[in-house]
Amino acid sequence: MGLFRVQARAFEPTYPLLQGAEIAVGWYRLDGRVAVKPNPWLPYLLLGPAGIFVLVFFVYPFLQVFFLAFQDSAGQWSLENFRVMVDDFNFAPSLINTLMLCFAVVPVQICLALVMAMMISRVDRGRDTLLYIWTIPLGISDLAAGIIWLSILEQSGFFNSLLGYAGLIDQPLNWLNYQNPVALFFAVVVAEIWRATAIVLVILVAGVGLIPKEYNEAAEVFGAGTWRRFFTITLPLLRPSLQSALILRTLLAFEVFAVVLILGGIDLPVLMGESFKWQFEYRDAGVAATYAVVILGISIAFTLLFLWALRVPEEAQG
Amino acid sequence: MTGISVAGIQKRFGAYQALTSVSLEVRDSEFTVLLGPSGCGKSTLLRIIAGLEYADGGTIDIGQRRVNDLPPRLRRIAMVFQNYAVFPHMTIYDNVAFGLRTRKTPEAEVRTRVMRMAELMDIGAQLSKYSAQLSGGQRQRVAVARALVVEPEVLLMDEPLSNLDALLRLQMRAELKSLLQEFNTTTIYVTHDQVEAMSLADRIAVMNGGHIEQYGSPMQIYSRPATRFVGGFIGNPPMNFLLDDHHSYSRQVGLERPGKAHSLGIRPEDIQVYREMATQCWPVKVGVVECLGPMQQFTAELDHQMLRVTADPDLALHSGETLYLRPDPAKVCWYDGEGRMLPV
Ligand SMILES: Nc1ncnc2c1ncn2[C@@H]1O[C@H](COP(=O)(O)OP(=O)(O)O)[C@@H](O)[C@H]1O
Ligand SMILES: [Mg+2]
Repeated sequence: MGLFRVQARAFEPTYPLLQGAEIAVGWYRLDGRVAVKPNPWLPYLLLGPAGIFVLVFFVYPFLQVFFLAFQDSAGQWSLENFRVMVDDFNFAPSLINTLMLCFAVVPVQICLALVMAMMISRVDRGRDTLLYIWTIPLGISDLAAGIIWLSILEQSGFFNSLLGYAGLIDQPLNWLNYQNPVALFFAVVVAEIWRATAIVLVILVAGVGLIPKEYNEAAEVFGAGTWRRFFTITLPLLRPSLQSALILRTLLAFEVFAVVLILGGIDLPVLMGESFKWQFEYRDAGVAATYAVVILGISIAFTLLFLWALRVPEEAQG
Repeated sequence: MTGISVAGIQKRFGAYQALTSVSLEVRDSEFTVLLGPSGCGKSTLLRIIAGLEYADGGTIDIGQRRVNDLPPRLRRIAMVFQNYAVFPHMTIYDNVAFGLRTRKTPEAEVRTRVMRMAELMDIGAQLSKYSAQLSGGQRQRVAVARALVVEPEVLLMDEPLSNLDALLRLQMRAELKSLLQEFNTTTIYVTHDQVEAMSLADRIAVMNGGHIEQYGSPMQIYSRPATRFVGGFIGNPPMNFLLDDHHSYSRQVGLERPGKAHSLGIRPEDIQVYREMATQCWPVKVGVVECLGPMQQFTAELDHQMLRVTADPDLALHSGETLYLRPDPAKVCWYDGEGRMLPV
């Protein structure tokens, strides 16, 4: 109906734009009149509220944290907070634990999500259902995830019951304390993988969907088997998505907190937990802010690393 | 010896029957074109032959080998895709070398063969570039080079020229023709462009609605269209069809008419035009006259039926005047009520 009226009015002098090939381009109202051209400032106007929001609730607190970390209680510039932080006996373990957790969790998550994404891309019917099921953990907060895994792994939990039924242990073992640091570490790793692989999966599934299927078909016709196609076509073309997923997951891994707090308490110190402790137990906002700055520094370093390592040269962009 | 033999291929997409029992024989080193309107199943058939799509029924043999259940990479084929599918993350060299490397060709041989192919396809200067840095025509050459460098037994091409602009398409068409004559590869080429089909093909399979209407040499297809669809699809302007179920028009011009004939088909250029009343002619009223340079075309009205006629450019034609037409009896084709050609 709309198109018809455009054609019927095409040669009326009041609608000079509606002629010939120009019918297809430009902005038209449904009744076939030329709509007003959009204001060039409109995008900025629409982005404005979000920009202000970020400034007020992100940049401002960020600056505040920065001042807290680099000033002493008298408001003088100093590295006193850093000295206190480094001298604290929990600093080194928390740094090491955080990095180790990150190195243990993120690669496994990436590989797992890759495998899952490839599997999903081969499924035709039920594809969405499968994706929804696999992304359920996305909807669960990290605190709740910690509690779920606590109920599995605590002394009277499901895991011990299972081992007991299977006859593998005589009495319930305590997996989650300082006497068993390796088990505790792996408990956190497993919980984190369970909790946060889905976000990587979602990014990779979207990325796989963006690769035109002709590339894989061409590779197949020219003799590449499944593995070769994966390593020479899919994986390189997935690089931008891998980059996003890696950055996002690594940053989140440095902020690991609730799951560790619930499963490990004080037995597995991590940077975020230390920051929390200094803020709310020792009431020292300066040192807490200093931890935050350290986390930020590591995050920026890794982001830059991934941006560089997984960059796609401009000429090689599809 | 690598012929292709396709028999009784069927394909359904959900409730939609894309191919209804398609059979096709392509001889060794023959160039066959699948020609038909958009959506008639050409790509589907080609992809089934390539192994990129599974058929619901029927058999495919490539060089006496039943390939129904073989994956594409074991079918000894090469393919040129409509949008070229040149890998964006590899240099042009690596693209052309791709098929050789998957076949574990020694790197020294890869090099000589890629270089030779690049020279032949005139992409030598592009080898270290990436796909995004090339023009459409150059990408097309890369796609062809990548396919031919593996010296395939069978080459499949899906509208390889349709993304090029008109002038480039003409040039590439000529190049492809001489190149493929040199290589002597058995080729199936998909296009919806009848001129492309006529100029390239040894044989054309005209497809419509998921089946093959006619399979024959370009001349056969042009002068003896097996169905009204073929006659109406090929030729510019297409064949004229005159409803003649009462035998009146054919008697008027002294034509023998097979018993069950329903309509008469005649190409615009196979009609003689007379200015004066002559015996055994159709008197017609001239409609629109178009001068096209080497010839002119006009529409002629014969008792409310419209004919398109090609005439000598020197003939002075005026809209509204009466002329006299006589179809060349040797060129007339007869069609039954279902649109199938009847033997004379
Ligand atoms: N993967 C698919 N799923 C559903 N329908 C398809 C699919 N591929 C092709 N079709 C349908 O099959 C018909 C034939 O398609 P195609 O072979 O691509 O036509 P052509 O190449 O002749 O233009 C079209 O109607 C198209 O919509
Ligand atoms: Mg097609």
